Formats: sequence, structure tokens, C-alpha cells
Amino acid sequence: MNRLLRALFGGRFWTLALKELRQIRRDRRLMISLVVPPTLQVLLFGFALDSDVKNLRLGVVDLSRTRESRELVSVLTENPTFQLTGSYATTDVLGDELSTGRLDIGVVVPYDFARLRSRGRPATVQVLLNAANANTAQIAQGYVEGAVAFLNRDASGVHAPPVELRPAYLFNPGLVNAWFIVTGVFGTLIILNGSLVSAATMIREKERGTVEQLLMTPANTLEVVTAKVVPLFVLLMTMVAVVLVVARVVFHVPFRGSPALVVAACACCVLTGIGLGTFVSTFARSASQTQLISFFINPPLAMLSGGLTPIEAMPKWVQPLTVVNPIAHFATIARSVLVKGAGLDVIYPNLLALIALAALFVGVSAWRFRRQLS
Amino acid sequence: MRRIFAQARKELTQLVRDRLALGLALVLPVALTALMGTTISLTVTDIPIVIQDLDQTPLSRQYADAFRSSLTFRVVALPPATSPEKLLAAGRVRAALIVPEHFMREVRRARPTQTQLLVDATDSNTAKLVRGNAAQITRAFALGLGQPDTTPLIRTATRLWFNPGREPRKFYGPGFLVLGLSIFPTVLAALAMSREGEQKTILQVYVSSISAHEFLLGKILAGMAIGLTQCLLAVGLMYTLFGLHFVGDPTPFVAGSVLFVFCMAAFGSLVGGAIPNQAAAVQAVALGGFLLSFLLSGLIFPVENIPDALRWISNLVQARYYVVVVRDAFLQGGGWPAVWWAVLAIGAIGSVFYVLAWRSMRRMQVKA
Repeated sequence: MNRLLRALFGGRFWTLALKELRQIRRDRRLMISLVVPPTLQVLLFGFALDSDVKNLRLGVVDLSRTRESRELVSVLTENPTFQLTGSYATTDVLGDELSTGRLDIGVVVPYDFARLRSRGRPATVQVLLNAANANTAQIAQGYVEGAVAFLNRDASGVHAPPVELRPAYLFNPGLVNAWFIVTGVFGTLIILNGSLVSAATMIREKERGTVEQLLMTPANTLEVVTAKVVPLFVLLMTMVAVVLVVARVVFHVPFRGSPALVVAACACCVLTGIGLGTFVSTFARSASQTQLISFFINPPLAMLSGGLTPIEAMPKWVQPLTVVNPIAHFATIARSVLVKGAGLDVIYPNLLALIALAALFVGVSAWRFRRQLS
Repeated sequence: MRRIFAQARKELTQLVRDRLALGLALVLPVALTALMGTTISLTVTDIPIVIQDLDQTPLSRQYADAFRSSLTFRVVALPPATSPEKLLAAGRVRAALIVPEHFMREVRRARPTQTQLLVDATDSNTAKLVRGNAAQITRAFALGLGQPDTTPLIRTATRLWFNPGREPRKFYGPGFLVLGLSIFPTVLAALAMSREGEQKTILQVYVSSISAHEFLLGKILAGMAIGLTQCLLAVGLMYTLFGLHFVGDPTPFVAGSVLFVFCMAAFGSLVGGAIPNQAAAVQAVALGGFLLSFLLSGLIFPVENIPDALRWISNLVQARYYVVVVRDAFLQGGGWPAVWWAVLAIGAIGSVFYVLAWRSMRRMQVKA
């Protein structure tokens, strides 16, 4: 134990690690990019990315102009999904408004609506939906049919439908979309910022030709590599702590499970990010090149992770690819632990996968770095 | 004029010699648009659900079969001695349908019966889709029970316009065309500009007789050439992979694209001129251009849902307007009456960027 401590703090490792820390601290741009973007990004993503369907602009052509038809319109506009934007005289005008994008949905009530209803014969209401956005269209259609079903139940007197479905939302009863986004963006932030910062520090030695100086020191490659990784790891874990605080305080993400599990997953993610950045930096010749190369890697990695959109919504052939995506595993862990309160018994496959990926990335990048040194 | 073209030719020659930048200019935007446009979607199909049938009668099984035969759900078998809640907590299923005991008896007695749906709401959007679909199936099932007094008095005939198959790729494909166009021409323009600053070749420009306007326009022209090539490739992709074509008048799209590419090249030159360090310039463009156009343009998530405090920013983001133009060209076909304001806005933002870039150039020229 004593020897280990001395090796850590008295020896070459400590000196090298201290050098790294100082270098990072003096690089103002790097320090800023470590602290500001993650916080800003979590805030922006959490606030701006909301897939909720609300305030759709509704246009009405009411050819019936009766109490019954007005009741239908008022039932439709009762919930925040639809917002009555205008009434039109003819269907053609309504159609024009829909195609110029001033309306999202149009409802046409036929002239015999009230008469048919009073005779107990079914009346058909036409619903025109701008389905360009498939998700919005599907949810809006569900709402319209729900509202009409409600009216039908009213109309048929006391009789409720024979079978009715009672939904209950578990884990997120308020349907807060930010919980999904924040837990998803979290992993993306760790990986992207981790790789960016580590690539920047690695490439600097290469650009300035100080790799030779490192080679001349009595430290062996293992010491050089760990001394580079450890300070970065510590700094990035501080960033993780900041993001966790933002998630808790600003977005009220419930911390139902053990935070230690999440922190462990974060640590694996940070290591994977550092590994990825180092790996990229061994291929590039300059700092701008590392950033250009990361354009090839980062967007697919972030978008195909299930962080922002559900994995189940991706095509079948893409879904297996997410198994090798650390962000996907991290998102599953963060959601299971923080929102659902799951324990190790549920998330162990993801945690194991994350550990394996971290080991793989760090191992390969250390090997590439060493080859570059010798 | 001649000098502008000479400057543009020099830029393009430099680009062709840099293999990494060339890949970034031509291969990556198309690849990314293809990959993301086809894979990104919010509309989940084949959602795993579990059915706990406590009744075990012909009718309850018929009800379960209604769920089995839907495309939205995939019914997972409930392992013996497990509660559906456990499967939900483990994330194995997204929803659990519970059919109560005496389900059939109650229905036959014409008494209102309720079934329960437990939805994993971690992903609130999927939760809503699950609920909507399950309610539709239940309504259709109740209708099929054929009790005379429950025939609905109001029926809806829904027509889905512009995207009748409700295919997500037709919505996201054009969106990612915009994203590709707002990242790569900008990054290349910023690189080209900051390289002059970093390698001090900008001094040669200062001592030459070329004016700030000519120099900038040359740079922007080269950037536009790259951007428009990308745009053409991406339009080809829309026709082939996404099954889209121009509906209505394509001239707003052409005008919008030219202005948008100009706008992005001017923005890149502005950033590149302000930050004479290639790595820092790329980072600034990536953060500014990508984040803003990704988050605040209505690409995946509607702009209307952004809180008011942030939403006004989206009015300054050129990608937001271009998204409107592109989607109109490929889906709605409203033509000039629908999108003239968006095309104008892109032009206005572009000229602001150009003036800013020109002023920063002039300042440097005096200093040097």
C-alpha cells in the first residue's frame, strides 16, 4: 500500500500528471470548453427539445351552423392539443390554408350534421390532417378520435361503451419529456466532450513535437499514458457532477435508484470518451484535422444512440448496431436507474457492455499511442 | 469580377488537394443525410407489450388477439409467476394490458367493463402513442361486440395530406438535408478563412490590390459552389432513397437554396475571419452552427414547443426558414405564396452576415 502510494505521489507519474493538469489549466479555451458547453447543452437540449404535440392550429368549416356542430368544435378545442385558428366558408379555402402551412388540421362538419344526429343516423365529419410530420399526425388523430368517442358516449345517453381502456402512466405520470431528453443527452455530452478534450491535449504534444521530449524522460509508456488519462478523467468527472446537479435542480429528474450506479456508468463513459479522442488524435496530424475527423464519428454516434429518439423507432437493421454504442447503454442505465429506480439486477448487461467498451477503447488507443511513441 | 473568380478558383484548387476536406465536402453530407433521414424517427412501431389475461375466456382472448394483430404492438409472453410491473421495470416491455376477471361475464351482461393499460412513460412521446393506439384498438373491439345502442353517431373520415403513409422519413429526410447543408459548407468556409489567418497568407492578400469585397465574394463563391453541389447530391438522394419529388413550383426551393448556401458561407467566413486559428474556428462553427440549427430549427422537435424565453432566438436562425422552404417544396407544394417570407428572411440574415464579415475584414486590413 505504502509503495503504491509512493509510486503514485512521489514518482514520475505524479510529476507528469501535474504537468498535464497545469497545461490544461493554462489553456483557457480548453477549460471553457470543459465547463460551459456541457452545462449550456444540457439546458438547451432539455428546454428546447420537446416532442409534445400541442397548440396545433385547427381550422373549421362548419356547414351545419347548429348547436350540435358548435359542441363538436368546442370539445375538440377543449384540450391544449388544438387551438382554433379560423373558420372558413368553403372546403377549398380550408385546403389552401392547409397547403400554405397556416393550418395543421382542418375539420369539415357536413350541412346535415344536426339533422342526422337527431334522427339517430350516423353523421360523418371530415378531418384533414397535415401528415408531413408523421408523429404529430398520429398523435393528433388519436386525440380527434378520442374527442369524438367522448361525444358519442354523451349522445348515446347513460350507456358507457362496453369495454373501456384505463391507461396509467408509470414512472413519469406527468409525461415530462425533459426527463427522457436529459437522460439521453447526458451520455452524448460525456462522450463528445471527453473525446474532444482528450484529442486536443493529445494532439498538442504531437503538433509541438514534444512527444520526443516525453520519450526522453525516464518514464515508461504506461506511465506517460496513465498520467495523460488520469487528470482528464478527474476533470471530466467534475463536469459529470455539474450535469447531474443541473438535471436534478433544473429539470427535477427523480433520482429513484442508486446514484452510485450512475456515477459508475459515467466513469465508464468518460473512459470511453477519452479512449475515442486519443484514438482519433493518433490518426490526425493537426488539431483542425482531429476535429474534422470527429465529424465523421460524432454525429452518427450521437444520433444512433437512442438518446434523443427511441431506438425502437429505428429500422430493424440499425437496431443491432446500437449494441456497440456506449451512449445507448448509458442512456438505458441512466433512465432505468434515475427514472425507474432499477438496481444492478436490471442494468448489469448494459453496465458490463459499457465496461467492455471502455476497456476496448482505452486499450486500442493506448496501443496506438504507444506505437506512435516508439 | 475576374479577381473574384480567380480567388474562387484558388479556393477550389486548395480544397481538391485536401482529401479529408473533400470527403467532408461531398461524401459526408450525403452519407449523413441518408443514414439519419432513414433511421431517425419518433414513431415507434412494433412496441413490446405484455398481456395479463386474468379472465381466460374466449372473449378476453379475442380482445388480446386484437392487440396481436396490430402493427404497432408486439405481444410478449408473460413468463409464469412474474408480475407485469416487473417486466416494465426491467424495460423488457413498454406497456402492460391487464384484462380483469369476469371480463366476459360483465360484457355479456352489458355492464361497462374496464381494462387497464400500464404504460412506461419514461419516454413521454412513445407513451402517448401507445395510449392512443391501445384506445383505438379497444374502441374498435367494443364496436365489434355489436350492441345496437353503441353504434357511434359521429364518425370521422380522416384524410392524411402530404404524407398519406405517415412515413417519418419523408419528414426527416428534408430536415437532415438542411442539417447537412448548414454544417459542412460552413465548416469548410471557416477553415478556408482561418487558414489564411493561421498561416499568415492573409498578409499577401492585404498587400495585393484585391479589395475586401472581392476577396470575400471569391471565398463565398467557392463555398457556394461546394454547398450547391451538396444540395444537388442531397436532392438526388431525396428522389431515390426517400421517394420524394418536387410537388408544385420548385423555384422557391432554388432561390432559397442559393440564398441559404450564401448565408452559410458568409457565416463561415465571418467566424473564420474573427478566429485566426483553424481548430478554434471549426469548434465555434460546429457549436454555433450545428447546435443552433439542430435545436432551434424545428428539425425533429417542433419550434412551437420551445419555451418563449428561448423561442425568439430561433427567429434569428437561418436554418429554421430553410426547413420551411425545403419541406414545402417536397411535401406541401404551397409555392411562393406559402414561403416567400422564409426566402426573404434567409436573404436578410445572409446579408447581415456578409456585412459583418466584410467589416471585420476591413478592420484587419487597416491594422495590418
